[in-house]
Amino acid sequence: MSTDPIDADLTRSVDGRIAKERLYHWLLFGCAALTIFVTVSIVVTLAADAVTFFRQVNALGFLTGTTWESSRDTFGVLPLVSATLIVTIVSAMVAIPIGTAAAVYLSEYASDRMRSVLKPSLEILAGIPTVVYGYLALVYLTPWLRTAGLELNLFNLLSASIMVGIMIIPMVSSISEDAMSAVPDSLRQAGYGLGATKYEVSTGIVIPASISGIFSSYILALSRAIGETMIVVMAGGMQARMFDITNPFANLFNSGQTMTAAMVHAVTSDATGGTPEFYSMFAIGLTLFFITFAMNLLSNRIAMRYREEYQ
Amino acid sequence: MTTADESSGSWFGADGKVSQRRGLLFKLSCLGATLLALLLVLVFLLYVANDAIQPFTADSGWLATVAATVVLPALALAAYYYRDSEPSGSVAYISFGLPIAATLLAGGVVIVFRHVISPHGWLALAIAGVVAAAVLEAHARTRTGSALERLAVVVVVPWFALIGIPGFSVDYTVTTPFLGQELFDLTMSVPTLIPSLRGLIVSLPILPTAALSLLASFTLPIAAVAAMHVRRVRESDRAGVIGGVATFVAAGAGMVAAPIAGVAPETGVIAATVIGMPVGLYVESVQRRGEGMAGLAFPVVIGGGAVLAAVLVNALGFAGPELWLDWQFLNSSHSTTPADAGIYPALVGSVMMLTVVAISAFPIGVGAAVYLEEYAPNQGRPGQLVEFLEINIANLAGVPSVVYGVLGLALFVRTAGLQSGIVVVGGFTIALLILPIIIVSAQEAIRGVPDSLRQASYGMGATKWQTVRSVVLPRAMPGILTGTILALGRAIGETAPLLMVGVAAVVRIPPNSFFGLFSAMPRQIYSWSRLIATDFRYGVLAAGVLTLLIVMLMMNASAIVLRNKYQRNS
Amino acid sequence: MADNQLGRTVDALSRRKFIATAGATGALAVAGCTENEASDEDGLSGEVVIKGSSTVFPVSDAMAERFMEEHEAVNVTVDSTGSGGGFENHFCPGDSDINGASRPIKSEEESLCAENDVTPMEMQIAGDALTMAVSPENDWVDCMSFDEMAQIWQEDGAETWADVNSEWPDEEFTLYGPDTTSGTFDWFTENVVGEGGNHRTDYEPTEDDNIIVEGLQDDPYAIGYFGYAYYEENSDRVKALDVKESEGDDCGEPSLQAAQAGEYPMARPLFIYPSEEAVQREEVYEFMKFFLENSSAEWIADEIGYVPSSQEDADANLSALEDAAGN
Repeated sequence: MSTDPIDADLTRSVDGRIAKERLYHWLLFGCAALTIFVTVSIVVTLAADAVTFFRQVNALGFLTGTTWESSRDTFGVLPLVSATLIVTIVSAMVAIPIGTAAAVYLSEYASDRMRSVLKPSLEILAGIPTVVYGYLALVYLTPWLRTAGLELNLFNLLSASIMVGIMIIPMVSSISEDAMSAVPDSLRQAGYGLGATKYEVSTGIVIPASISGIFSSYILALSRAIGETMIVVMAGGMQARMFDITNPFANLFNSGQTMTAAMVHAVTSDATGGTPEFYSMFAIGLTLFFITFAMNLLSNRIAMRYREEYQ
Repeated sequence: MTTADESSGSWFGADGKVSQRRGLLFKLSCLGATLLALLLVLVFLLYVANDAIQPFTADSGWLATVAATVVLPALALAAYYYRDSEPSGSVAYISFGLPIAATLLAGGVVIVFRHVISPHGWLALAIAGVVAAAVLEAHARTRTGSALERLAVVVVVPWFALIGIPGFSVDYTVTTPFLGQELFDLTMSVPTLIPSLRGLIVSLPILPTAALSLLASFTLPIAAVAAMHVRRVRESDRAGVIGGVATFVAAGAGMVAAPIAGVAPETGVIAATVIGMPVGLYVESVQRRGEGMAGLAFPVVIGGGAVLAAVLVNALGFAGPELWLDWQFLNSSHSTTPADAGIYPALVGSVMMLTVVAISAFPIGVGAAVYLEEYAPNQGRPGQLVEFLEINIANLAGVPSVVYGVLGLALFVRTAGLQSGIVVVGGFTIALLILPIIIVSAQEAIRGVPDSLRQASYGMGATKWQTVRSVVLPRAMPGILTGTILALGRAIGETAPLLMVGVAAVVRIPPNSFFGLFSAMPRQIYSWSRLIATDFRYGVLAAGVLTLLIVMLMMNASAIVLRNKYQRNS
Repeated sequence: MADNQLGRTVDALSRRKFIATAGATGALAVAGCTENEASDEDGLSGEVVIKGSSTVFPVSDAMAERFMEEHEAVNVTVDSTGSGGGFENHFCPGDSDINGASRPIKSEEESLCAENDVTPMEMQIAGDALTMAVSPENDWVDCMSFDEMAQIWQEDGAETWADVNSEWPDEEFTLYGPDTTSGTFDWFTENVVGEGGNHRTDYEPTEDDNIIVEGLQDDPYAIGYFGYAYYEENSDRVKALDVKESEGDDCGEPSLQAAQAGEYPMARPLFIYPSEEAVQREEVYEFMKFFLENSSAEWIADEIGYVPSSQEDADANLSALEDAAGN
């Protein structure tokens, strides 16, 4: 602390004050460092128990196996991964167009009054607990889709995925909107100066200029969809099924078990499996942690690039 | 494009009209997408509300009475405000919403004083805190000794005021290493060595009644805050005193009136304080501004209409709707009979868990944010470390909640040896989950404090910590609080981590300590969704979801209101 | 009084939790950790923690509710964690007092419990009567033997009704059943499909037994099985079959009375495992006593749709409980 200002209060000892300043410095550093501790303990605790799991189950078989029957100690993670992918892809198909369109509207078209209503509403959408979304999917959405003529199982990936999609819309829209608002007005003015219409400015200038921010919002939202638990547990079912290529729609209409659902299954369901099933939870958790970690990192990198461009 | 002449017309071509239509289409589809997302959820929520309240099970006479006494007058007033007096409109909806929000808050406070800390415990805590602060102040004024002495006093005085040296007990079996044969049991327990001031007060033979304790230790500080506020805005000492005394008197009236209404006097004090103070201040502010006074009639008309409706349907014998979400639901525990099932223990569990989350995550989160924004070096190797910290925090915010659940299980249950399914385990686990969110939002709030303020503080000879404490934090606090409330709103809805740390499906008695078994609202909702009976799925579950949503919406709405107010001020 | 409260908290917790508790209490003492233990007239208080099978959950939950009506201060919490998960994560480490199970304890679990000085006591309480049901339009079958069911449900088994019995129509059947993760599926595979092979996988598995009922109702050639509780609620929509263990036996009608008397072969036993250590505590002992005394009560059949245990079983369990508690 070489830049400390001169102590004006001569009656108190300078040493003490410096000691106090140091104490606070380290205390605050401790708070920040705690986050490192959290990451490390996630990796360590998950890895330690995942090792126990892989002692009993062949790791290669785990990663390439196409059947997951925890009650019979058959652990192939691919059915879980395929269900997770289905949920992610379908929810992206719901959230990305709607979320992006909402972001464009909020950033380019909305009047101040409109914004002051729409933005908080979307924020509240983001705050609804996932257990509520799961309930909505199970109790209302699935019956509606059935009345609409789809031959859905009571537990099915389709309505779970649609709900996950609705849940992540605010994430896409708010981050994308931030990115679009960060595009300097001079670019827009230049566009108008060339005689472009508002539509042309929006699609031809603002979106390309903020594309890295928009992509980073997609990745964040998808990583949220991958990690979403309660919606798929409540509405998606617990039946681990391998993706059936011959009949793609059946995969959507039937129940399926995602990775997160399998983790909940390991601690709540009436499966009769013993030790390996419980430890499988840690192996899946670790896989999930690394997938989402990589995606978040990627999103950060992309967002970083765009931040450099305009600031 | 007003000056477009012939040549530029050929330049643009004739697609001006086409692009206009295309642009309009694009704008409308963007708006449509935004509204679609919102409407979809709104429709879902209407269905939930319909299932929870079932308005159409009521007699048509009942519906007609309510429409005539409440809905029609409300609509008429709203139309009047909309046409003739816009300021009254905003006054109307605030003065209608405020008492409702305050009532919910009062409910939360009642739960806190019933289950988290007793009124006597709070009185003792308050007195001990005041005494400790007074001692510290006196020491700072009379002694100008070394900083070490000061530090010792700062630590020791509050410690003895609040904690003392508690007794402890040991029960440990000594075994031979490796073989594990039991040698002997070491069992001893030491009674309290030095009781804390707080403990002494609680164990006094004569204590004021619970309601009086609350009046003294809960209402008094709130009345003081109200008084200060009124004094500041009215710039009159007399008005301040009147405001404070009015608050206090209202609370006292609540205490006296409560037994007549059939509730405990403590509840009366809390309700009168928590509802009366903000409502009073709001009425005062409307009256001071002298604008939109007519809006204040709105809640009065609706309230009066509701009372009238209640009297009328009673007299005429109309049956109301078959509510799932009713007082009985809020006030009882889970039952195997759907009609008797309720959410009270889970509600208390959620409040207690949130207390743990707030106490543990808020200081650490704000501390980390202060470090990263104010202290962290940004160059060289340490700078890289800090950058790593920031990336790490951003990543932690994206880790699935179910993974945090596994972490909580491993860290608190298996490593630290706490019992699974107790309040602190659930609270700490969720605290880890929302810590990154709090840090990021607090960082943003701190970043928003203008640098000139810091420079001014340094220029006056303040140290870094003094600057942070007296300049940066007060200025950033509204932003920090907004972020924290939003994060707590997330915390109250988290389910998956609770499943992982073994929070039980059915808990019928609310926890009586932070080490008691608990259930939380989302956990209870999930266990209802697993039950077979249709009444659970459609009725009880809808009521539970609506309760959770109302609590969550109130938290988020207050955060948003706080932020808007703060943004307008700065 | 924080000191007294701390002392009491510590007494109530096992020694391995002491250190952590003490540390955390220090942190939370400021927040006011109040412990006001209420107790009712007979002075019974404390908590009983039940984990385990989701099939046993409805019984334990109803028992807890009724017990707590009499003893308001005893906190009985019920959770469904799965039989295995309950033993593994809660019961054997000593965190829960009672574990529900839809199958007997496995030897690995027993040794895990032994490592932690937890002694499980096996008690068969109540049961679930599996019901084999067909469409109400099905008029060719009223009673089926285990062998015929095995032919229908095993892998590479029959495809049409005629494959099983030549008098039945030559139509393919549609199969509905509980999904592979359920205890019902496991029991059926082990006891009915038996050594003959694995349970077939090309049937319509579902988590919700109501779907089975819907499926059976719509299709005259469909057959499926589920817990009796569902049949009871839907007895007008589907037709339940009588079953017999082997050709020579009499057909047993699916009813809870028959199952209780041991005359219905597809009754699946359910267990609870209190630990001997836990029943030393008075509240656990009293709860177990209440549970066992009521395990043969009529309301288990009427309200939950499960098979009450026989009077002899209940008495045997009660005396085992008395022995363990040392009375």
